[in-house]
Amino acid sequence: MYLPTATATEQALLQGFLLGGLYALTALGLSLVLGVLRIINLAHGEFLILGAFLGYYWLQRTGVDPLLGLVVVAPVVAGVGFVVQRWALSPLVRHGDEPALLTTFSLSIIGQNLFIILFTADSRLINRSYGFRALRIGAVSVPEIYLISFAAALVIFGAVHLLMQHSAFGRQVRASAEDPVAAAVVGVRVRRVHALTFALAAGCAAIGGVLAGIAFSFDATTGTSYLLTGFAVVVLGGLGSVAGTLGGGIVLGVVESVGAAVFGDGYLDFIGLMVFLVILALRPQGIFGWARR
Amino acid sequence: MTNTPAPTTSAVEHGTSSAASRLSRALAAGRARPWLPLLAAGAVVVIVYPFLASTYLLQIGFQILLYVAIGEAWNLIAGYGGMVSLGSAAFIGTGAYTLAELTGHGFPLVAAVVAGGAIAAVFAAAISPAMFRLRGVYFSVATLALAEALLLLISTISTFGGTTGLLLRSAVPSYLGLYWWGLGCAALSTAIVVWLLRSRLSLALRAIRDDQDVAQEMGVHAFRTKLVAFVLASFIMGAAGALQSLNTAYVEPSGSFSLQWTIDIVTVVIIGGMATRVGPWIGAVFTVVLVQVLASYPDIHDAITGVILILVIRFAPRGIWGTAVTTSARIRARGARGE
Repeated sequence: MYLPTATATEQALLQGFLLGGLYALTALGLSLVLGVLRIINLAHGEFLILGAFLGYYWLQRTGVDPLLGLVVVAPVVAGVGFVVQRWALSPLVRHGDEPALLTTFSLSIIGQNLFIILFTADSRLINRSYGFRALRIGAVSVPEIYLISFAAALVIFGAVHLLMQHSAFGRQVRASAEDPVAAAVVGVRVRRVHALTFALAAGCAAIGGVLAGIAFSFDATTGTSYLLTGFAVVVLGGLGSVAGTLGGGIVLGVVESVGAAVFGDGYLDFIGLMVFLVILALRPQGIFGWARR
Repeated sequence: MTNTPAPTTSAVEHGTSSAASRLSRALAAGRARPWLPLLAAGAVVVIVYPFLASTYLLQIGFQILLYVAIGEAWNLIAGYGGMVSLGSAAFIGTGAYTLAELTGHGFPLVAAVVAGGAIAAVFAAAISPAMFRLRGVYFSVATLALAEALLLLISTISTFGGTTGLLLRSAVPSYLGLYWWGLGCAALSTAIVVWLLRSRLSLALRAIRDDQDVAQEMGVHAFRTKLVAFVLASFIMGAAGALQSLNTAYVEPSGSFSLQWTIDIVTVVIIGGMATRVGPWIGAVFTVVLVQVLASYPDIHDAITGVILILVIRFAPRGIWGTAVTTSARIRARGARGE
């Protein structure tokens, strides 16, 4: 352990802050599904990695930048999400929480296995120059992709916020989350709203996955660590609130980045998990107040 | 069952009633110890098996017995206690590493296996104040994160060999010896769970599972009840993990703390039948046999397991054993009505 210099501290703070945008983006889908469907989607990481793989092959096959490819990749993954929700999760609605949780656990197992079959177990990186090029800001430098993904996060979070707060669909989603039975009584097609929300979450995960796949290498099983990072973000940010998820992502990014600067890079994931567990243990009622049903 | 038409008065007075009462008498006579012949037959099989089995079959037998032990443990907390832990790997890995360390320092095998369970149990007790603040699926997620955190932590500790792990420095038992260890562990785990389920604690545990708030209002001490179940289950998992490290003769973070353990345990119990008495035994046989059947297609083994899990959760939530019991009861009831 060593104390970082002032510049190194600034560097860690800025990098962490920007990286937090990417964290928030990778957690957004998890937060949406948890807030609206009241399901913890353990297969969330697999939707993310599916997006990353599709981005990788998009670049390989078309040569077109994967950021442009998002207009294809995100809807495809959203479609997969829609089908999965309709066929695997929707029938379990009335059976309590555990069957749905264990079904998403099974989906995660299937997903990881399918990735290995389809895409091999090799580690991949979506190779873009802005993925490793650093941008100098005064004395500190940050990878360009951090800046790009932070901007992307702001755009996506803004769009989702507008969709949820100021559209007819958003009103139906909020009504379904508040009280599914009452929403159904007044004519909201709750099943359809749930499937569409799940699809939206999967699409957002795919966008996060492509950006993460440009910034960091990934393989068929990386989804699990993104899932756990996502939980840390959701717990930190408070539940169901889109803005909270963005805040949670930034807090986690800063904490991890500063922690890694102090303890070494090897501890990055571990620090994230400990933050998550400590918050859960110390303030479950504060952040997770509604969870104690 | 609810839409079964009530028997008319005339039917009760005539032929059907005598058949029904004969059946109920027969059932009552058998009810005293209906499981005794089954238990005896099972005992004969598991004791005779190693004398007839090849080395390969001994290994299979050991694997099944190990899965029985951890399946019993998980069934206790998840099936009867509603604590769906996804962090079993943490306790199995703790047991495995404890054994590797202790046998390396010359401790006898029995002591090292028991210590493996004990350390896992102490660890469980230590984290329970934090973990039990979370209920339902939040408990599940926290245990999942805990197991991953422990995997990362162990990988960084050089005393434990970092990511490479440790080789066992003591002599490991023969395949036959290992089988007896596995049998002892499985039998003891089953006995512990049976004993627990016959005690008053079982009622409290199930009451908490069904509705913790109501149970607490009725005077059930939720924390203490969950703690006993969680610590006992963790002890079993730790001891089983210790045995597994004897089988592999080395321990490494990505093996001993692997998420695969969690997947396998969930598979064993869900397919066998959650919250059923015989479920873990059936599920362990099914799971290990499935691995062997799919041995030529190891690539798709996990995907097939996942599909089976989803289908079982949706269409047969009580698993093989639970479904079999319900079905046979239905057939008996139909037979009793003379249909």
